[in-house]
Amino acid sequence: MGKRAKLEIMRDILRVIQNNRNAIKPTPLLRKSGLSSNRFKEYYLELLERKLIREESIKGTKLVTLTEGGFRFIEKYKTIMDFIEEFDL
Amino acid sequence: MMKPPLEILFSPTTGIELIYSFVIIVCSLMIYHSTKEAYKLSSYKGLKYFRQAFLFFAIAYLFRSSIKILLMFFDAKRIIDVSPMGVGIVSLFVFLYFSSMAVFYLVYSIMWKKWESQKMKGYIFNGIALIIAFIGAFFININLLIMLNLGVLAFASFALSSIYKKSKKKRSLFVTYVLLFLFWILNVIEIIIPDFLQSVQLGIYLISISLFMVILYKVLKTIGN
Repeated sequence: MGKRAKLEIMRDILRVIQNNRNAIKPTPLLRKSGLSSNRFKEYYLELLERKLIREESIKGTKLVTLTEGGFRFIEKYKTIMDFIEEFDL
Repeated sequence: MMKPPLEILFSPTTGIELIYSFVIIVCSLMIYHSTKEAYKLSSYKGLKYFRQAFLFFAIAYLFRSSIKILLMFFDAKRIIDVSPMGVGIVSLFVFLYFSSMAVFYLVYSIMWKKWESQKMKGYIFNGIALIIAFIGAFFININLLIMLNLGVLAFASFALSSIYKKSKKKRSLFVTYVLLFLFWILNVIEIIIPDFLQSVQLGIYLISISLFMVILYKVLKTIGN
């Protein structure tokens, strides 16, 4: 799988969180992402590491929310892809 | 023989040199800075190499201008005539190293997906750039240096053409990059043998500036900063 597809998958995961009022449990997120659990784990950890998402515990329930960077990623995604396309990166 | 500093500082030649370097350094740094957020958010490798290429161009042109000022200050024709020679040699070494690395990284920003499996490319780029810088700065073997630079130009053009043959849409970018590399070689020759291209120096400067401005325009138009 190419790197460009990777950015697309990351955007899709972030969008799922955003469309769930910015709070979703990890299991429904895995289901809605349409990825295998191994690949989902890989992306999930990368998103956490890059501080695009964070885990919060609300009333004992683990929820995943977007960080400011996560919102910015969704906002800037098209610009980044246009740039990659323009300069053939 | 040294010229009085004020005479050098206010001469038209110094003015042209400073404006030329300043414009290219500013263009390169603007490209580097305006792509910062896109890279921070995406960590995309192609973007990383693209940004590094322009950072290297900025460093190379900073040292290029220092070489030109040294040559004018000491009223010297070649860098070996500059006294103390060490300052000139080090500047020349840094200029040749970073300008070669800039060319390699710009090619790599496009080719990285194809070359991902080759683990040694970072060392190879560094090694060739160091050889070019070493030959240019310490041996001052002009013929060998020009041949090596033409070899880099041929390699860059060949690598890029393999991609652009498939897409007519990107031909203008291919032409811009090949011209950028060609004018980089002319800049190298102009530093090593200042008299050689004196009659067309202004033309080289104007075209080089135009190429950097075209790339900057494309960057700003797409990234919107």
